[in-house]
Amino acid sequence: MTATLSPPSGASAPPTRRARVLPAPVTGQELVLVGVIAVIWTGLALATPAFLTGGSIRPLLVATAPIALVGVGMTIVIITGGIDVSVGGAIMVCSVLTAKQLVADTGLVPAVLLSVAVGGVLGLVNGVLIAYGRVHAIIITFGTANLFLFLGLQLFGSATVNGIPQTFGIFGRGAAGQTLGVPNAFLLTALITAAAWWYLRHTAGGRHFYAIGGDPHAARLAGVRVQRRVLLAYLVTGLLVGLASCFVIAQGTSTLDQSVGTGKELAVIAAVVIGGTSIMGGRGSVLGTFLGALLVQSVTSGVTQLGWRSQLSDLFVGIFIIVAVGTDLLRERTRRNR
Amino acid sequence: MTTTAPPPPAAAPEREKSEGAGAKVLRALLTQRIALLAVLVVVVVVWFFVLDAGGYLTAAYDFDYMSASLINAVPLAMLGLAELLVILSGRGGIDLSVGAIVSLAGMVFGFAYGQWGWSLPAAILLTAAFGALCGALNGFLVAYVGFPALIATLATFYAFKSLAIVVNNQSPISTPPIQQLFSITSSVELPLFGQYVPDVPLGLFTFLLPTALVVWLLLARTTYGRRLYAVGTNDVAGRWSGIPVRGTRFKAYVYAGLISGLVAVVTVAQFASARPDAGVSGNGMALPAITIAVLGGVAITGGIGRVAGVVLATLLVVWLNAGILLAFVGNEGSQYQLLALGSVLIFAALLNGLTTRRYGGTR
Amino acid sequence: MNQPSTAAAPAAPEPAPDVPTGPPRVLLTGIAKRFGAVRAIRHGDMAVHAGRVHALVGENGAGKSTMIKILSGVEAADAGSISFEGRPVTIGSTGDAMALGIATVYQEPQLFAELTVAENIFTGREIRRGGRVAWAEQNTRVVELLELLGLPGHYATVPVGTLSIAEQQQVSIAKALAGEATVLILDEPSAILTDAEIDVLFTVVRRLTAAGVAVVYISHRLDELFRIADEVTVMRDGETIGTYPIGELSVRRVAELMVGGILSDERPQRQVPDGPPVLELDGLGRAGKFEDVHVAVRRGEIVALYGLVGSGVSEIAACVYGIDRATSGEMRLNGERIAPRSPEEAQARGIALLPANRKLEGMFGFQSIAFNISAGHLKLLSRFGTWVDRARERTVATDLIRRLAVRTPHERQPISAMSGGNAQKVVLARQLVERPEVLVLAEPTQGVDVGAKEEIHRIITELADSGTAVLVVTSDLPEALRIADRLQVVRGGTTTVEFGPDATQVDVLAAAAGAVDTPGGDAVDTTAAEQPDDGKRPAGSGATPEEVR
Repeated sequence: MTATLSPPSGASAPPTRRARVLPAPVTGQELVLVGVIAVIWTGLALATPAFLTGGSIRPLLVATAPIALVGVGMTIVIITGGIDVSVGGAIMVCSVLTAKQLVADTGLVPAVLLSVAVGGVLGLVNGVLIAYGRVHAIIITFGTANLFLFLGLQLFGSATVNGIPQTFGIFGRGAAGQTLGVPNAFLLTALITAAAWWYLRHTAGGRHFYAIGGDPHAARLAGVRVQRRVLLAYLVTGLLVGLASCFVIAQGTSTLDQSVGTGKELAVIAAVVIGGTSIMGGRGSVLGTFLGALLVQSVTSGVTQLGWRSQLSDLFVGIFIIVAVGTDLLRERTRRNR
Repeated sequence: MTTTAPPPPAAAPEREKSEGAGAKVLRALLTQRIALLAVLVVVVVVWFFVLDAGGYLTAAYDFDYMSASLINAVPLAMLGLAELLVILSGRGGIDLSVGAIVSLAGMVFGFAYGQWGWSLPAAILLTAAFGALCGALNGFLVAYVGFPALIATLATFYAFKSLAIVVNNQSPISTPPIQQLFSITSSVELPLFGQYVPDVPLGLFTFLLPTALVVWLLLARTTYGRRLYAVGTNDVAGRWSGIPVRGTRFKAYVYAGLISGLVAVVTVAQFASARPDAGVSGNGMALPAITIAVLGGVAITGGIGRVAGVVLATLLVVWLNAGILLAFVGNEGSQYQLLALGSVLIFAALLNGLTTRRYGGTR
Repeated sequence: MNQPSTAAAPAAPEPAPDVPTGPPRVLLTGIAKRFGAVRAIRHGDMAVHAGRVHALVGENGAGKSTMIKILSGVEAADAGSISFEGRPVTIGSTGDAMALGIATVYQEPQLFAELTVAENIFTGREIRRGGRVAWAEQNTRVVELLELLGLPGHYATVPVGTLSIAEQQQVSIAKALAGEATVLILDEPSAILTDAEIDVLFTVVRRLTAAGVAVVYISHRLDELFRIADEVTVMRDGETIGTYPIGELSVRRVAELMVGGILSDERPQRQVPDGPPVLELDGLGRAGKFEDVHVAVRRGEIVALYGLVGSGVSEIAACVYGIDRATSGEMRLNGERIAPRSPEEAQARGIALLPANRKLEGMFGFQSIAFNISAGHLKLLSRFGTWVDRARERTVATDLIRRLAVRTPHERQPISAMSGGNAQKVVLARQLVERPEVLVLAEPTQGVDVGAKEEIHRIITELADSGTAVLVVTSDLPEALRIADRLQVVRGGTTTVEFGPDATQVDVLAAAAGAVDTPGGDAVDTTAAEQPDDGKRPAGSGATPEEVR
């Protein structure tokens, strides 16, 4: 056998049969994110001692939940090499529909189920068009974003939905929305993230998402049902949008205005990207997205805590995207040159 | 023996030699995006004329109305051309930040013309240069550092949007000089034969037509245009044939920023106020611009796209929107515009996919 | 070399005399397939038997890959039937093919860079235990497979993206072997492998056929067939011409069947004018790629740099053209020291290069021929360096189309619609717009059919006759021998031996292989159609079915 040209990374470690069958469970990017979040929290705690109290942390976690939750779906979509810019519109549709049901005294469980089902239908529309229409996801979802927005505004009818009862208090910021002091919305999000993380890492179906993102043609040749998998990714995103919409309603006061969902698609994509998922597909983790969402929300609430103009937080989000993706590019480049 | 003969995909034309006239027309419509758009524009206009004649519209849909509505085409088409340039450059080229550049450059224009008392040409020049600078940041990140365009422009979208709002404490600039600017967006009678045709919005001549002409010349006639198409089609081959790939791609983003700067001037004039959220409020300006470009036949993968397609797509959308406004009462109209835009985009995209499978591509 | 062979070829795929009885493992009958207006296959018949290596050959565009795609379920045939072990079957998807045990190794590795080798091998048929993937079990299997193929076992957990191309190819083979293969299709597996790796591949193939697997083998290197194949099916213009036992064939005969005519193998006699070298590489090196390379090319001379894949030969070309920078030694052009930092700079100095990978590095897919020719010469073909001079562009394009005999109705035809040979001529035309002083040709005829190959060789010779210094960088030895005035062998990243025009394949191959003695060395003298006549009888020198068992 000819001498192999470049021994790949990790070649030095002689493998034992069971050890390290998979890459490390936590990536470098995720560790860095944990560090950055720690630094921000410490800084905020030093600047405003009130920060590290439940009254300050809890709203932060509640606000993180919808972005992180939709982020789970978006991560899967982006891993397959797609993107979904229609989630903002979808959130609007789900939340206005559900809020109106709540006003009409629908119970908690039916309302949540309704929201999730509606989200699922919207996701299905995206999935079918993208998987079977053979059109790039960004174009289709730009189109459906307009359609969903239309649908949402039609459902709104008048300007706002008023008098929403506290049915969703269990997902809210109040005492009803906590278990052992942790907001339920956040707990639920963490749970779903963990489940998705395990699924993506340890099941054949999960790995197939990565294969599709790496090379859809090769995946098809390997016998992966590419179209069904792609459809599933958008469907899951839709279902999670449905649940996230319930969190969004619960966070607000008793009114819902037409700006609900606006710009959420970009916020979610930002969280995914900061979390280290490659926009080119084939690589990424929901854990990173979760941390990315937490980071973005920490910055947002930090900016308000410090009494700065709240819109300044967007500038920081932009800078974080550049830094996060920039270091990733740099790492990739050194890896290739080695 | 089982015959493995499922229906062939896209039912291959059996008589490629003796293709009927109908098939020829269909083929031309599907493969020539320009032809399809032209037909659609005529269909839309005729349809609204019929509706108008039948009394279904709240006001008259006539040439005067169509002409007046063209003022909406100015920012839309110009940003569509900006997207044309960056999408052409390939490697997932796209610019999500054009709307944010419009906001931020608009504030710069507001300061220069409304507060510092610069002359109009100087202020316009400064705004365009500032837009180009913003575009240069995008171009640097994408072409030289290697960021995916979607991510780089998402980041700068956030940054520019934030800066535009913060820079003047969230308040618009609407000093007297700015308010008087509204006149440049008003309609004027054309010279020579003006009395025979409807008045046309001035912005069309001062901004859109020169931009479209320059971009067309750039793409169709200059060496830069050739390089841009080459890089967008295959940047590796571009490098091996001695084309400066990075510089070419970089410039596409700079030009897109420059056009966004010009749009900022138009927008400030239109609103008679430099609003910090002019380009990002609601759905923003980037999404409609990308929609226009895609509808105009620009391939998201780069290397394919023409100015005429973008201009026709704009006319289609603007006249469709103008008609919809008259067909519904109140707020409804603007909502149905979203429906129309979304449907048309998905229709065009699916059509592109079909065309690719059936005829091997569109032009 | 023209030994008597079966002049009357069997018109239909009648089973060869020494074929085992019983129904073939796979039988394709009357296959037809069209893509839009293109009839990829008019009529395809093929019978593949268990335990045999069945070669499928033909020029580019003859329909080989489409046959393979139909057999592996990537495409569905428009007409015709397939039977498996005598049973009629429908292969409508890759899944159907895999269920029958039909495994395919594609020409370009179909792998996922971010996933590990083990994951790649098992994608689509993961071993599942209680809903999750049994990683450890998969890994154990993969380590065995890798060791079988001569790759280190610890590669199992390494991301595929970090492996070399040749290693990735072997991973693809491992992937095909991981299932219970009944039919293994190898689509030009050797194109990117080194000779040593090909030997490993052949060992594996023989082991598989001994175990009863039917192997379908596609290759452009006709000499290989005589080492591995039992039967050969030849395709021409979308039709299967016939199936022949390997013993009835010679390399020349196969080539003639492919082209449908008689080949000439005369090497043009050339006189190289004396004079100082135009291009000199003096001890040129690039860290980790190649070192101490010495080459000199004179005006009007054709020098070939011949090296096997992985010898560093292609990296040398990239350096001359400014794609990569040299890190040691120097390069001189007409005695002046140069160090081009970019292709633009190299072009400005009169160096042109025809890239090795036509699709990736050469072609602007859906753009016109004229566009493809003028790209990179826009300054020259413009007014004031800004406005494209379209009249001149058209003149230059039509002129080159005529000179290079590009077959096309007009210069506005998109290059993506052209055959490999024609497209290659267009890319070559781009290098000739400004009449380069030095022309570097990297693999000038790779993936080009035999007819176009001859024409390209003629063009290269004409260019040299008109005074251009030509450096051909190739891993195709018959080509190097056919066109070069001098030939230098690159081995282990450095130039070693130099040969004159009368070198034989045996000498050069021995030099290129160095101390490593390849087991298949006895077959080298049968390499290809245009080889110099050394009179050795090829048939039978390769592996006969008996030897394979």
